[in-house]
Amino acid sequence: MEILETKNLTKAFGALTAVNAVSLAIEAGSLHSIIGPNGAGKTTLFNLLTGTFQPTSGRIIFDQKEITGTPASRIAHLGLARSYQRTTVFPAFSLFDNVWVAAFATGKSWKGLLYREIDSYSEVAERANLALRDVGLEDKSKQLAREISHGEQRQLELAIALAAAPRVLLLDEPAAGLSPEETRKMVALVRALKGRYTIVLIEHKMDIIMSVSDRISVMHFGSLIAEGTPAEIQKNPEVRRAYLGGVAA
Amino acid sequence: MKKSILILLAAVALLPFVVRPAIASEVWIFAIFGLGLNLLLGYTGLLSFGQSTFFGSAAYVAGWLMKIHGVNAFLALGIGVGVGAASAAVVGYLCVQRSGLYFIMLTFALNQLFYFTAYQWTSVTGGEDGMPGVPRPALLGIDFNNPLVYYAFVSLLFLISLYLMKKIVESPLGKILQAIRENEVRAEAVGYNVPRFKLLAFVIGGAFSGLAGVLYAMLFGIVPLEAISFVFSGNVVFATLIGGSGSLYGPVIGSFVFIWLSESMSTVWARWPLLLGVAFVLVVLFLRGGIVEAWSRFWSWKSSKQKT
Repeated sequence: MEILETKNLTKAFGALTAVNAVSLAIEAGSLHSIIGPNGAGKTTLFNLLTGTFQPTSGRIIFDQKEITGTPASRIAHLGLARSYQRTTVFPAFSLFDNVWVAAFATGKSWKGLLYREIDSYSEVAERANLALRDVGLEDKSKQLAREISHGEQRQLELAIALAAAPRVLLLDEPAAGLSPEETRKMVALVRALKGRYTIVLIEHKMDIIMSVSDRISVMHFGSLIAEGTPAEIQKNPEVRRAYLGGVAA
Repeated sequence: MKKSILILLAAVALLPFVVRPAIASEVWIFAIFGLGLNLLLGYTGLLSFGQSTFFGSAAYVAGWLMKIHGVNAFLALGIGVGVGAASAAVVGYLCVQRSGLYFIMLTFALNQLFYFTAYQWTSVTGGEDGMPGVPRPALLGIDFNNPLVYYAFVSLLFLISLYLMKKIVESPLGKILQAIRENEVRAEAVGYNVPRFKLLAFVIGGAFSGLAGVLYAMLFGIVPLEAISFVFSGNVVFATLIGGSGSLYGPVIGSFVFIWLSESMSTVWARWPLLLGVAFVLVVLFLRGGIVEAWSRFWSWKSSKQKT
């Protein structure tokens, strides 16, 4: 069953059509990767899915319900959480506070928003700690986000998305700027999350994509040019021409 | 934490014996005003340059009701809080649509709009002459015309305001506002309607400003036109920055320094705002966290010296 679908989703910035009639169907529980050269429109697609941009035309369907036009701040409440390609955390907050804020947003109730003490929301704290544990940062929960390494910030980036207890995770290049060693850790992490969440993954590193994906969609100049299993994608001549050319030669 | 409360209570108790009670009252009134601004400036990261809009509007409305209709002090304060919050809701609604420089200019421009309305509407506000004759109505048989009694009343309201603000900044709301300050895009993405939270910060800040405005009018028996001018808006920003905008006590300390400096220096030296300018430059260049940061730096320096 599809949990997330787009139908002819299009976004034009003036004369530039960044996303062109993209129809995607993400199977619940799967890890679906989106690849494509720089500027193919992958991040714009994420921005459309999360309500950061409103589409020029087309529809987005989440869990059989149309969510086209839903503002960004509502998306997380529906069960759709994203991470960013460029680290987007709360720098002056402790790691715990970083995930706490995300966990509280999607918490059961906001009762006591103006007067209750932060420590008194045990369910939120539990979820926050769980998110930190999932990415392996539980020992550093009291450190400030701006004081940890880039690799750890990438993990925190992911933890903030996890803290919302989403049903679908949109991961935008989680391994961006990581060393080979850190990349290995990140791959292991994504692999561990696979199955627990439906994951849509944007990534440039082909070895990661080929080893973790159930399905792969290939974007080129805003359009989908191919979709299939990793093996099918590797064989597809059009994909080789557009994207893998250098690698496969 | 306990220590800071003790220092504060001692300051409240001793201040009227160090300076005139009227000045002492003004310190805490200005501190309430600063607490309201700091929720925007320090916690949400919004530089509002129009806080006197709420301060002045509340002072005029409540002052008028006390003067003409003999409203009692409790009701006047309640109305002041309401007017402060309501005017902040209107101004805030327009301002939170924009960010950065445009936001600041909007708060300033709307402040000017209120200022010139007060300036022109002489039949009520007295225009440039201000609105004199604001009484201090007795409450439960207590006569507030005694300066020390009024000081006690102001101090009590200040302590309550400080307690309420402490609750607010330590609540989830405080954390969310800081998250907006730290990273607006992410705050939105994790599920907070950022403009609505900014508006809420405005309304709460406006309520505090309104309370301060009414107390100010009752203290001096007049609502001067300056109470709604950009000078007042600027003063509260200066005082808060000098005290330290990042912390709860920053605006309290800032207001203490600001009022004390202005009252003690203005009698000796007409050009005293020069000193304020110098202090401001020093804070901006070297001490972004204001006096609060200077204090904590001093203690960490001292304790590191003791260790070696």
